[in-house]
Amino acid sequence: MTRHAMVTDLRRCVGCQACTAACNAEWDVPAGYARTHIQHTPVQGTFPDLAAGILVAQCAQCDEAPCLPACPSGATFRDANGAVRVNREVCIGCGYCVAACPYDARYIHPVLKKADKCDFCAPRVARGQEPACVATCPTHAKVFGNLEDRESPVFKLVYDLGAQRRETQAIHVGPHVYYQGKPQQVALVMDAFPPRPPHMPVSGSLWEKVARPVVVGAVGLTFAGQAVAFFHQLWHGEEDYED
Amino acid sequence: MKTSPIPEHPIPLSGEQVEAMRQRHLKKHHIAIILLHWFNALVWIWELSTGVALVSADRLRVVPVAFIQTLTELAGSRANLMRIHLGLGLTWIAVFLVYGLFGWRTYLSQEVLKREIALDADDMAWLRIRVLGILGRSSESLPPQGVYNAGQKLFALMVYAALPVIMATGLIMAFHLFGTAVVGWAALIHFCAVGGVFSGLIVHVYMGAVFPEEKPAFFSMFSGVVDEVFAYSHHFKWWREMKLKEQAWEVKHDQAVQPDPTKANESSST
Repeated sequence: MTRHAMVTDLRRCVGCQACTAACNAEWDVPAGYARTHIQHTPVQGTFPDLAAGILVAQCAQCDEAPCLPACPSGATFRDANGAVRVNREVCIGCGYCVAACPYDARYIHPVLKKADKCDFCAPRVARGQEPACVATCPTHAKVFGNLEDRESPVFKLVYDLGAQRRETQAIHVGPHVYYQGKPQQVALVMDAFPPRPPHMPVSGSLWEKVARPVVVGAVGLTFAGQAVAFFHQLWHGEEDYED
Repeated sequence: MKTSPIPEHPIPLSGEQVEAMRQRHLKKHHIAIILLHWFNALVWIWELSTGVALVSADRLRVVPVAFIQTLTELAGSRANLMRIHLGLGLTWIAVFLVYGLFGWRTYLSQEVLKREIALDADDMAWLRIRVLGILGRSSESLPPQGVYNAGQKLFALMVYAALPVIMATGLIMAFHLFGTAVVGWAALIHFCAVGGVFSGLIVHVYMGAVFPEEKPAFFSMFSGVVDEVFAYSHHFKWWREMKLKEQAWEVKHDQAVQPDPTKANESSST
């Protein structure tokens, strides 16, 4: 069994954006959008005791990814390696998944008009390569591997060295992007960039809570009405209309 | 030529009259409408099936997972399912556009719609009596109807209102028009409009294909004609209108073919 995960070592990350550039180039990400990007926390403390953190943000391929049930057409799916991916040919670009993501890791591609996001470079991984961001990182801050493999570096970083998930008590959806570093650094990042509650656009909520039950009810009632009429017809027999 | 009087209200027919009327037919549907109807029926079967299979999210789906899986396997993939839904949907819209362009004056002008599908007092009474009758709660005789009965009119009104909505929202989703939020609303509205029409379709199919009294109407969707007994008993207003037209034509025809007596005299004298 495979469960791909990624760990970012905040001690090594210098925020150079090489990962962002590599990802943009690999996946033809349009200007102004990103599958992965860098965010800086505010600087804390007083000189010379200053501290700052860098968040390497990307889709966390969550165990309980809110984008999966949000997608009406099933375009969002989980592959055999645990990566959450988008089937562009089925995506209608409704944006429900974008609203549902607690990490704002999705966007609607302005040219393709489909949802787009990091999928741990699944096509590259299928060819036996590392994700573009991992392969490019000049400081080797990013580590990618199989969390189910005891020999994998990510297994050791997560289970032996305590790399952390970006979660809060309220929002814990099982992300598989982990962060490791000095406790102060990690705490800064976790405090500065907590996941937000997943939400659903009004249209999506109305569909689920009002339209679906009403339509199912209306169709069911009509069908039941016709069934009653049909059995009434069977019971009383048919007469030729001319008579 | 002697013409028989056309009653203003339905009166009981004698056995001879029924036999004679059964042999005569009135044209109810043009071949273009018959073809459009069956094309539409086939499209609806496919589009409904693929459409409900495409809504696979647990919180939104309206059919069992097994149905979705079966249809996906039959199509080969979900992408193919989407391609079929889109391709067929766009073809459907194109065909209806041609129908709208060429059949506007014949089928869609305000005058035609008012005459054929606007509900009048007879229609409202018909709806009440028909529903109660089917449920065995009324034995009142049905008020006379036009070329379409009130049930057909009601369904037509719903379809005429819903079809442009289904087409527009389908196009918005297919081509991602007006932005992401609008696509989200379009998906919801598409679902509601199709659901509404499908509720009506259940009644339409039952009344057309199963309900014994309407069987001639069902067969007319193949032959284009109904016999006069059916027209008289189910669509009296239309039957009367057609007979009056027929009678007027016969009178005009008779006048045209009868030789002018003055001209006849002139020719004999020369």
